[in-house]
Amino acid sequence: MKLLDILLGRSSPPKARLDALFALATAYVTLLIRQELRSSNRAGIAFRPAQASRFRELTKELDGLLGIAVKETGSSYTVQQDSYGYIWVVLEDKDMEDLVATVHMVSTTVAEHGYGPLLLAAAFRFEEEGRPVYWVYNYKRGRFYPFVPLEGRKRDNAEELRLKAVMAAELPTEPQLDQWYALWDLPV
Amino acid sequence: MRATRFGSDSGLGFRMGLVLFFLAATYLAFLVVLTALGADFITLAVFAAAMLGLQYFFSDRLVLMAAGAREVTPEQAPELHARIGRLAAGMDLPMPRVALIETDVPNALATGRGPGASVVAVTTGLLERIDDAELDAVLAHELAHIANRDVMVMTIASFFSTVAFFLVRWLVYVPSVGSGRRGKDGSGGALMAVWLISLLVWAISSLLLRALSRYRELAADRGAAFTTGSPASLAAALTKISGAVARIPQRDLREVEAASAFFIIPVTSREFWATLVSTHPSLEQRLRQLERIQAEMERP
Repeated sequence: MKLLDILLGRSSPPKARLDALFALATAYVTLLIRQELRSSNRAGIAFRPAQASRFRELTKELDGLLGIAVKETGSSYTVQQDSYGYIWVVLEDKDMEDLVATVHMVSTTVAEHGYGPLLLAAAFRFEEEGRPVYWVYNYKRGRFYPFVPLEGRKRDNAEELRLKAVMAAELPTEPQLDQWYALWDLPV
Repeated sequence: MRATRFGSDSGLGFRMGLVLFFLAATYLAFLVVLTALGADFITLAVFAAAMLGLQYFFSDRLVLMAAGAREVTPEQAPELHARIGRLAAGMDLPMPRVALIETDVPNALATGRGPGASVVAVTTGLLERIDDAELDAVLAHELAHIANRDVMVMTIASFFSTVAFFLVRWLVYVPSVGSGRRGKDGSGGALMAVWLISLLVWAISSLLLRALSRYRELAADRGAAFTTGSPASLAAALTKISGAVARIPQRDLREVEAASAFFIIPVTSREFWATLVSTHPSLEQRLRQLERIQAEMERP
């Protein structure tokens, strides 16, 4: 199939992988204890909006589902668009397992409507000595990588590599460093 | 519920496969005839392989140099880097290098030997003329070329075409290149035959390669539409870019169109030939495809 894809041009975009998301629900304990990270209880799902009238059905269903989830778990959510045109569903939940479950629910809903290829990433926010540390889930690769932004669009690569080294055993982490994409100015 | 709204286009894949089949058949016939004529083309094949190999491995630097592009760092062009990075992440590609071309003509290109070593270059004219969504669409089109490995496919596909081209060029000056095992007296006719066959193969394979290139442009358009979820943005960008290109005196698209409207069969012979030898599909053809994709997305 791979050879055919090359010869005839990749006809469809890579699909989103959602299963590995749940790994964070069990691995976060290690994150909090061994890495001295504090959870900010916040996560965001980023996806591109499709320019189709049917896309509104998805946003309507998401609103409905999130409305129910908020009542059940005592969490809250906002939907916003960033300066690159991506939609961010930002969730806040004190319970990490609920947070991961809600992120998975939102991602699944997007994929079920047929927009899986438009899913970009989910970012989970933690804190380390007052500064934000993100664990980013890349839907196309189904793996996590750390993102530690500094002032002026710089990243703390040393800290990211350290975080990855500690978590590699418990989280499906991204081994290829050139896939550790930055997400500047993320609203999470 | 459906797996994805972005289905594959089996028709496009079939046409591309057909072109590849004919290309392979042409090349095979070429080899059979050359062998039958006793031509010693191995040296030539090695030379052509070396030439294409160099072209392939240095494609990024060669093309950038030819286009007058200069690479920019994330600090020099943070927004462009961030845009390309997000699109590349969405397409499961490693980050390509980014280059700028200082010219008012809006255009973009992608080159490099594979997803691991590639460059996306855009002109400053492009950045000035189109809006963010359209820029994303154009960038996604270029990234789709990288995902589809178009440089590699086109390089390999054009191998024997290049061999034939060299034969055509050189047999005129250096008869020894094509001379075979036959004696000096009998080689004149064979040499002529090799020359004619090479010319034929070169002409046919060039047309096939152009067709392949057009299909790969359409495939990249599809990829861009799927990645951005917005075929209309690419359509708008293409219209804007070609409109701006048409202002350059050599190519006035509207004039040609207006004239052909008076014919019963709208394709004049000049246009027909223009389509046949063009490396890109016509704007109309590209817009039609994007319209179809949009319609697919709107389907319940």
